Amino acid sequence: MNLKRLFGMNLLKRYRVVIPVVLPIFILVLFRSIGPYHFKTDAKKQAEPSFLKTNIVSIGQTDYMPGNKLIINLDKGSGILDGTRNSVMGIPADSVLKKEYFRIIRNHEGPVLLYSSEPGTAARIWMVLSQMGCENIFILTNDPGNENPKHPPQ
Amino acid sequence: MNTRVKFMVGLIGLGLILALIPLPGRWSIQAKPQNLLSQALDEKTYFTVDQVAMFVVSEDSSVQLIDLRPQEEFRKANIPGSINIPYNELLNNDPGRFFNNGNTKNVFYSNGDFESNYAFILARGMNFKNTFVMKGGLNHWLKTVMNSSFTGDRISARENALFETRTRAGKLFTEINSLPDSLKLKFMEAKHSAAKKLDGGCE
Repeated sequence: MNLKRLFGMNLLKRYRVVIPVVLPIFILVLFRSIGPYHFKTDAKKQAEPSFLKTNIVSIGQTDYMPGNKLIINLDKGSGILDGTRNSVMGIPADSVLKKEYFRIIRNHEGPVLLYSSEPGTAARIWMVLSQMGCENIFILTNDPGNENPKHPPQ
Repeated sequence: MNTRVKFMVGLIGLGLILALIPLPGRWSIQAKPQNLLSQALDEKTYFTVDQVAMFVVSEDSSVQLIDLRPQEEFRKANIPGSINIPYNELLNNDPGRFFNNGNTKNVFYSNGDFESNYAFILARGMNFKNTFVMKGGLNHWLKTVMNSSFTGDRISARENALFETRTRAGKLFTEINSLPDSLKLKFMEAKHSAAKKLDGGCE
C-alpha cells in the first residue's frame, strides 16, 4: 500500500505537468534509436543510377568520360581489358570489401568502372558498393544493351 | 529557474531535436556488408533457364517468378505464372508484400542480367532471404527454351528430358501469351485445377 502510494500517486502528482510532455518524447526518441532504419542510408537513393540506367558504360564510351578513370577487373584474368588505355586494377569480386581495396575504390578521384565477364556479378558488386555509399561508380560492359529485349517472341 | 527545471528543459529540447530529425528513408540495407558480398557471390542464388522451365512445366507452387520489366513489356509476353513488379517501382511500395511469403522462392528476371541482380542485392540486403535470379534473363529464356531444337541421330535420356521440358515450357509460354490478359490467369487456374483432379486431390 505504501509502495503504491509512494511510486503511484505521489510521483504522478509531483510531475503531473512534466510527464505528459516527456513521455511521448521519450517514446519517439526510443523509436528513433532502436528502430531498424536508424542512421542507415536510403536504399532507393543509393540505387538511383540503376533506375535511370546511367551507371552502365560501354568500352567505347570510356574515352568520353571526364576525370581520371580507374577500371576494376573483378575477374581473375584480364580478358577484354587488355587493350584499354585506362589504368586497370585487378580486384577479385570477393575482395572488394577488403580494407585496402575498398579504400582505393572509395577514395579514387574520378570514375571507377567495374568490369566482369559475368554481367550479373558486376551488377551485384555495383549495388553492394553503392549501398555502402561509394559514388561515381559505373559498370563497364561490352554489351550495354544487355537489358534490351533481343529475341522478341514470335 | 532552479537546476531541476533547467535540466528538464534541456532534456526536452534535446528530445525534440532527436525526434524531429527526418528519417533517412523507408527502406535501407540492413545486412552486414561482408555477409551481403558472400550472398552476392553465391552461385546457389542463381537458377538456370532450364530450372525455371521445369518450375513452369511442373507448376511448382513453391516458386514465384517476378518479372522486373516495364508493364508494357510484361503485357506483351511473360513467363507463365510470373507477377510484374517493374524494377523502377520495386522500392515505391512495401517490398515485404511480395517477398515475405513463407518458404516461397522469389525468382527475379528481367530482359538481361543487370536489373534482376540489382533487385537481388536490394532484397537480400533487406533480409528477404528467399530471393533468387534467373541467369541470363528473358533474353536467354527466349534463345534457349523457345528455340530449342534437336539435330542428330541419337539422344541420351538426359538430353531427351531437357528437350521435353523446354518444348513443354515453350508451348505453355506461347499458349498463354497468345491469350488476352483477362484470360491468362483463368487459363493457369484451370490448368492447376485439372492437374489436381488428375492427382486425385480436391480444391
